[in-house]
Amino acid sequence: MDYFIHLGILFAIYVILGAGLNLLVGYTGLLSVTHAAFYGIGAYTTAILLTQTGFGFFSSVILGIFVTMITAFLVGIVLSKFKDDYYALASLGFNIIVFSAFLNWQDLTKGPLGIPGISRPELFGFSFSSNISYFVLAILFAGLIYFISKFIINSSFGRVLKAIREDEKAIQVFGYNTQFYKLAIFVISAGMASVAGSLFASYITFIDPSSFYIIESIFILTIIIIGGLANMRGVLLGALFLILLPEALRFVGFPSDIAAQMRQVVYGLILVLLMLYRPKGFLGEYDL
Amino acid sequence: MEIFIQLILNSLIAGSIYALIALGFNLIFGVVKFFDLGYGAMIVIGAYATFYFTKIIGLNIFLAAALGVLSAGVVGLLVNRFVYQNLRKKKASNMVLLIASLGVFTVLQAVTAILFSSQFKTLSQSVTANVYNIFGGIVTQTQIVIFICAVVIMIALTVMLNKTKFGKAVKAIGDDEEVAKIVGINTNKIIAGVFFIGSAIAGLAGILIGFDTGIEPTMGLKLILKGVIASIIGGIGNVYGGVLGALFLGFVENFGIWKLSGEWKDAIAFVVLILFLLFRPRGIFKK
Repeated sequence: MDYFIHLGILFAIYVILGAGLNLLVGYTGLLSVTHAAFYGIGAYTTAILLTQTGFGFFSSVILGIFVTMITAFLVGIVLSKFKDDYYALASLGFNIIVFSAFLNWQDLTKGPLGIPGISRPELFGFSFSSNISYFVLAILFAGLIYFISKFIINSSFGRVLKAIREDEKAIQVFGYNTQFYKLAIFVISAGMASVAGSLFASYITFIDPSSFYIIESIFILTIIIIGGLANMRGVLLGALFLILLPEALRFVGFPSDIAAQMRQVVYGLILVLLMLYRPKGFLGEYDL
Repeated sequence: MEIFIQLILNSLIAGSIYALIALGFNLIFGVVKFFDLGYGAMIVIGAYATFYFTKIIGLNIFLAAALGVLSAGVVGLLVNRFVYQNLRKKKASNMVLLIASLGVFTVLQAVTAILFSSQFKTLSQSVTANVYNIFGGIVTQTQIVIFICAVVIMIALTVMLNKTKFGKAVKAIGDDEEVAKIVGINTNKIIAGVFFIGSAIAGLAGILIGFDTGIEPTMGLKLILKGVIASIIGGIGNVYGGVLGALFLGFVENFGIWKLSGEWKDAIAFVVLILFLLFRPRGIFKK
């Protein structure tokens, strides 16, 4: 049972990550491969604040969002100059630069050793130290992010995003400053990833840079591509699928080191097959 | 002064490796016009096939290396035939191709890890390396071979592209695939040839790295990214530009870590990439 709760918490974290990235990739058509960087900045902010200062978890979440959004703003200014595959490449570059900072800014992040002993959240004397209470907390956060995303999509702001995806030049003709919209959604999406990072850090209670490398960005991207681009239910489906898949492989009976690689084989194959036969993903509404 | 010479030599060696990767990558990019990340897996396959033929089967090292190069070429050929060719037929966008190539890369890397385990391995047979002293700097025999290979492959590609019918067809497809088709060039066949040659060059690069430092299944991603950066610096799709970009990258990385810790190498490379994308998106020689 405890194991299902563990999977449930991971599910909630990846729903948050997927929802934010879908706003960017699915709805706006910007192929970002740097989501793990913002996830990591959120995680490190919470980890550092909880282990070295008197900050509580919830204020660290807010501060994490703040730090991440400022970083995303600076990165986004540069990125909004690119399009399509160049956007993907440049964003991937930022992920590697941020990862190098986690690894090498040892005074702050303790480098490859990571930060252990991150505490669980407390609210009005209640501690979320049991996994079941943490699960409820994570699901609440995921629900909140999910509905904020839906709200954004259905707002006039969201309609402009979709228009940018379909034809950026056309919407510029109507006087919309598309650079501003692209930058804004990039910053919002990064802020959401930061929340997932805070949840992850406080749940696992230990973080090191390896969780925030481009492989993780690609994993999050895989979630939304499999589930379906520009579809919020697709995020749920993709996250569920990719979290249950390793369990299914374990059930088949591969030894653990082979199972980890088998998982990669399956992810990769799914990506290739989807691109060949259904480039919008299972529930998707938008072709890359 | 000695450290200065050593840094120059290190830059040249790193530059030669990147140049090899960029040469094959640019050759392929020139005809397909998308970032083929699957190319990174060919580096790994070349290295591991050689490892298999020499350390497990026990073949002579040169024969094993030749088979390694061949294996990488054949895998590249197959990937093109079964994945990219079908996507091209459907007129898939660059982003679809990019993600498909990422999938290809992931599968091949994981299969390699399943077959050979994720442990770090080396191809070289002796523990001690033959070293040479050049103006106070030290290079190994393998590193000299790397440099020579880069030069030879560059010259061979130049001759092939300019003097042969195949090379002219490659250039024609690079200019405009539709027109090339109209004038009677069998584009699928030429592109297949390009994938074979390009992937074989990637395989060679992997093998050389295996002799110089060592191999692990995850090495492909970093290397293909360096190849892409070198290509962009030199002007993407421009085969000779890629070599210059590779040397430039080699020097910037190695001189960059003169004062910084070596761990910053990748970050330096990507800062260079982003600067180039911003200010010189068409490379050093703006076309």
